[in-house]
Amino acid sequence: MSTVELNELSVRAGSVALISDVTLNVEAGTWCTIVGPNGAGKTTLVETIAGLRRPAHGSVMIAGGRVGSMSERERALRVALVTQHPIVPSGMSVRDYVALGRTAYHGLLRPPSADDRQAVENVLSRLALDEYAHRDVVTLSGGERQRMVLARALAQATMVMVLDEPITGLDLRHQITMLELLQKEVHECGLTVIATLHDLTLAGQFADRLVLLDRGRLVLDGPSGEVVRSKELAECYGMKLRVVDVDGADVVIPVRH
Amino acid sequence: MAFVAAATLLALAAAVVCGLVIGPTSIGTTRVVGDVFSHVGLGHSTLTPTQSSIIWQFRAPRMVLGLLAGAMLAVAGGTYQGVFRNPLADPYLLGVAAGAGLGATVAIVDIGGALTTPSWTPLLAFGGAMIAVIVTWAIGGRGLRSSTSTLILAGVAVASLFTSAQTFLQQQSSTNSIARVYIWLLGSLASASWSSVTLVLPYVVVCVAICVAAGRALDVMSVGEDESRSLGLPVRRVRFIVIAASSLGTAAIVSAVGLIGFVGIIVPHIVRLLVGTSYRRILPISVVFGAAFLVFADTIARTVMAPSELPLGVVTAIVGAPVFVLILSLRRQTVT
Repeated sequence: MSTVELNELSVRAGSVALISDVTLNVEAGTWCTIVGPNGAGKTTLVETIAGLRRPAHGSVMIAGGRVGSMSERERALRVALVTQHPIVPSGMSVRDYVALGRTAYHGLLRPPSADDRQAVENVLSRLALDEYAHRDVVTLSGGERQRMVLARALAQATMVMVLDEPITGLDLRHQITMLELLQKEVHECGLTVIATLHDLTLAGQFADRLVLLDRGRLVLDGPSGEVVRSKELAECYGMKLRVVDVDGADVVIPVRH
Repeated sequence: MAFVAAATLLALAAAVVCGLVIGPTSIGTTRVVGDVFSHVGLGHSTLTPTQSSIIWQFRAPRMVLGLLAGAMLAVAGGTYQGVFRNPLADPYLLGVAAGAGLGATVAIVDIGGALTTPSWTPLLAFGGAMIAVIVTWAIGGRGLRSSTSTLILAGVAVASLFTSAQTFLQQQSSTNSIARVYIWLLGSLASASWSSVTLVLPYVVVCVAICVAAGRALDVMSVGEDESRSLGLPVRRVRFIVIAASSLGTAAIVSAVGLIGFVGIIVPHIVRLLVGTSYRRILPISVVFGAAFLVFADTIARTVMAPSELPLGVVTAIVGAPVFVLILSLRRQTVT
């Protein structure tokens, strides 16, 4: 059964079409990465899946429920979002920040329950954030900070997680760490991941499936190995691309003319 | 946190005693406190009827109105700072002050001669304040994204429109009315009575309760609109409720005591320095701290130049401005 279904989805901003007629089904427990050049509509697409934008046409369904007609709370119990530039409120501790992920469970007028607190502690230890738990969020390095944002999203305990460029600004090692943590959640906990990534090599290595988006339209949708080798990918970027096999991993290299 | 809460409550108790004891007629502290206890059936009062009426007809309602005004303005300021994620927000941000100023000026200048001042002044001030906020909301509250900045800009526009109308009216009026308009604009508790207390009490109780209850929601909102929505917060509904409560409570207070500045902006900042950035702590502590602060300020206002009074807005600003500057410089040190 598909966990996330996009049916003939179109999104507009005024008279400008940002997403046109995208149909996509993502199976439960799989990782789907959306790639495409700047302005392709990747961010708009993930924001719409997360319910932050209303479709002009078509619908987004998560676990059989229509995202557009859910309350914020119902939506937060089904899909978690990691934005490209998360706002980190100074003065808040890492533990309190991660605990924000439980808001939909305990509501706005009641304090977190014992279950909520336990869920937060579990996530903190799973992502090795225990030792930072009491620290002010602004004192964390970029890599730690991004791990903390992931922890908040995991604390939401949703079946679907949507991430917009989750590794922007991280060094190589932290990029891999971040993506491996996420992959572990997909494999061990059956999380469904929809992410956007600019790095085609990493996109190919970590996703079960790549979706190529260009000017708001779905161009190609398939297994990672096929999409990175496709002529459509090179055409969308207007570049010559070479794919090299390094120890079984596809490495995508842009070639200057 | 517990220490700060205890200290703030102690300051409140001290403010209450100051409000009742200090004044041109000297009545001993112990005798005043004894009289207060006698009213709840503990011991006997030693006050003369005149002293008793000074306490209960003048100082007590004035002190209670001060508590209500301080609590409301401080919590409204803290709430505005949270909902707009802007440290410079204060309860007058959306035009409450300008609207109330225009309403009060209309009443005091008495266009058409139909308004028997002063009883019309609070009514028109309240009406003006509510109209200004509603107009601001109608213009700026319906935007989709980053609608808080649209709302702030709409507030600026509405406030300047109402202020210019108010200035025009004031220009056209007699010297006598100008003086009274000025006194009103600077805020004062001098006209406090039990009837003004009972008039604003229900507004303040309900609005303060709503603001304090919103603390958790405001903490979630500190991660921004999109992210807090994705966490399950109905951002627009919360924003509407919280702004409506702070504005209504502020309008009620302003209609009774005029425009008292600085309480709404500095008290939440002082509290933030003491208890951290969580609105679940800032808001309840601000209620108590604001109440105490304003009663102390009023005690200064009515005693330093007795028998004449300093405008309360002047005292809060004289105390408030240096504190505010101090906080700003402390903040800079912690950031660098």
